[in-house]
Amino acid sequence: MKRPVLILTGALFLLTFIIVLYRVIGLEYPLLPAAPGQTWQLLINIRIVPGSEEGVLSLGLPLEHTGKTIIEERVFSGRYSFATLKQGPNRIGVWSGEGIADPQEITYGATILYGPSRNSVSRSPLIGPYRSTLNREEQKFLQELAFTWGRLEPAARLKAIAAALNGDWGASRPKDAVIRQWGELSQKYDRADIALALLTAARLPARATEGLILTEGVYNSPKRWIEVWLSRAWSNLDPETGEISEAAAALLPLAVGEMPAASVRGAEVSDIRWMLRRQVLSNWSLHFQRIIHSDHLLDRWSLFRLPQEFQLTFRILLLVPIGALIICFLRNVIGLPTFGIFMPMLMALAFRSTGLLYGTVIFVGIIGVGFLVRSVLDKFHLLLVPRLSVILTLVIACFTMLALLGNKLGLREFMAVGLIPFVILTMTIERFFVIVEELGTREALLTTAGSTAVAIITYGIIRWETLQLTFFVYPELLLTVVALQIIIGRYTGYRLSEFFRFGSLRGSS
Amino acid sequence: MIIQGFRRLREAGVLGINSRNADYIMPHNARSALPSADNKVRTKELARKAGIPTPELLHVIENHGNITKILEVLKNIQGFVVKPAQGSGGNGILLISEASTEGFITQSGNVLSREDFAYHISSIISGIYSLGGREDTAVIEALIHPDPVFNSITYQGVPDVRIVVYRGVPIMAMVRLPTKASDGKANLHRGAIGAGIDIGSGITKSAVHKSRVVELHPDTGNYVKGMHIPHWDKMLLMAATAMEMTGLGYLGADIVLDRDRGPVLLELNARPGLAIQIANQSGLRSRLERADGALAGTSLSPDARVALAKELFGAGQR
Repeated sequence: MKRPVLILTGALFLLTFIIVLYRVIGLEYPLLPAAPGQTWQLLINIRIVPGSEEGVLSLGLPLEHTGKTIIEERVFSGRYSFATLKQGPNRIGVWSGEGIADPQEITYGATILYGPSRNSVSRSPLIGPYRSTLNREEQKFLQELAFTWGRLEPAARLKAIAAALNGDWGASRPKDAVIRQWGELSQKYDRADIALALLTAARLPARATEGLILTEGVYNSPKRWIEVWLSRAWSNLDPETGEISEAAAALLPLAVGEMPAASVRGAEVSDIRWMLRRQVLSNWSLHFQRIIHSDHLLDRWSLFRLPQEFQLTFRILLLVPIGALIICFLRNVIGLPTFGIFMPMLMALAFRSTGLLYGTVIFVGIIGVGFLVRSVLDKFHLLLVPRLSVILTLVIACFTMLALLGNKLGLREFMAVGLIPFVILTMTIERFFVIVEELGTREALLTTAGSTAVAIITYGIIRWETLQLTFFVYPELLLTVVALQIIIGRYTGYRLSEFFRFGSLRGSS
Repeated sequence: MIIQGFRRLREAGVLGINSRNADYIMPHNARSALPSADNKVRTKELARKAGIPTPELLHVIENHGNITKILEVLKNIQGFVVKPAQGSGGNGILLISEASTEGFITQSGNVLSREDFAYHISSIISGIYSLGGREDTAVIEALIHPDPVFNSITYQGVPDVRIVVYRGVPIMAMVRLPTKASDGKANLHRGAIGAGIDIGSGITKSAVHKSRVVELHPDTGNYVKGMHIPHWDKMLLMAATAMEMTGLGYLGADIVLDRDRGPVLLELNARPGLAIQIANQSGLRSRLERADGALAGTSLSPDARVALAKELFGAGQR
């Protein structure tokens, strides 16, 4: 390698190293941006229509719990007054107000951090009383029914009960008459209530819970499940499916026991929504809370100072040069053929919204359709620019059809098709056709495969969160990326493909 | 296994595409010199000044409006070639052997309607065959009448001799022989045969067809090896002169042998391919390095460079 190139790349590596070192030692940044715990953004939106008397709205709020920390809370109460109160295991937000004429918007927001934690509830809770709706005879029946499971371990007992709720009695199948009576009972009551009663009869501490499953989305009503105490920790039983899960990290309980997650008195709730959104970066912002107030140059110029919505963009943008680096490598060192230079990278960015499977299928599908239309078009002898315009129109028409189809089928991935770079796709169709005509179908398919492979690899990299964070925290790593790009630019060795191409020359000398 | 394979390639003196671009093309071919090879009209002009024969230029079509007018003129010409001025790899070249009432008859016997022919010219002007996709011009040249000396090892088309020239020294040469599979075209990736030529004697020594070493022409069944190329010294001199003519330090000269005119410079290439190594079963890199060693600091005339090439790369010299 030539001397100036060596000096330049060496300087770039050194500069990266010095800045990172300064951040780690001088500013005490964590050296390895360890995979952070998950942070969730909970947002509850309520539109409340006041009545004539005093209105009171009670909402179950998230609670600091095992492995769960509430980082910050924001409340917008409109003209209502707000207070929180603790009631047993619940934390309740109460909004009250009188003489309010107009409908009010109330918003509660919280940032909740889920992380590994060792502390847990140590004391066994009491076994609750039966629900008052059950009469004495029914209670007695359930106790007799549950007697068979009495000798089982709590975990096994819960499993047997969950199975029984689904009609699977296993080896200890009671008499038909008993089963008939059980059937009548389960018809009479709500599934969650009867499950709770049966658990009580089987001497397992249990409580009904309302809350949310930790997946991104908007919900109009909370989910209900039952928490069952198994000598050390709570397990969760879904009364609808009979599924048992121990992972408390996947659920966000809001109201425990007899309390509903939302209730209102003296007014009317016209709209209520629970929103959950995952946030990786805010966890990091926490680590870097200090940065916001720090006067060090590098802290003042940190990407963490950007508004949230722009931070997201830069998390992705900072990884695009790595995508380019990979393309350099695959083309100049491996010798993989691709359509154009940056087309695979733009595809990878589009895959972020369409998903890998749908993205690839849409990509290959549209090229296929485009190829057929282009073959027909060839007979009309259109001039270059109008011909490309026709293909462009076809691509847009395909997008429209896919979006409509996606809407019909409820496939968001199809509706996100508009984010695929359509100009690039148009040029790709033309290039594909020309390659088929001039170099043959094999070469064209090889190039398509190469482009898709590069797009998938790039997609995998830009989705890698730890890498995203590392670059976000240490953007100076881009200098190293440039250095690597320069090194590949000066790679004058053989390509892997030449190993095969010049195979016949390897033996001779 | 791969590392070992790479070492073997290096030992055989094979030039890879990265090294060709970074070590030879970029340092020796100034960007400003590229049009003299990339644009056929310009190459012809330079060749005329240097006294190097090229195929006779009949017409240059620069815009769509002239196409119909040209069609009338072409009707009366017996045989011609249509080429994109800035094309590469033989793409967009159309060989017409005669005009008929329906249109034009190509050399492979197909009849092209006047509309199809006009469309082809218009595609050339639109730039689909040009290197950067920019607007191009269509060039109409007189048909080459190939010397019958190659008839026994050619299937239709015109065979051509490719000579790679570095710093004005002919480095390696091959003759490209059209086959049935290549549709009469002399491009290796289309299925033509490439036969390596001994620089010293002008005799073919080895041949490849579709990346495989062969001895016989697949269509005519005759030996490709051991064929003496006529006017060999003249061809070497034409190729060597191309450096002064264009200012390109690394180029490929394509020369055809015309029945009546002898060697004719068909075109120049500023990025000649590496398949010539397979045809010669020999690496370019070691020869380039030897040329560098022999040239060090000296400035030689084209004749002296041809003599140097024969001395360095002639058969007895390996």
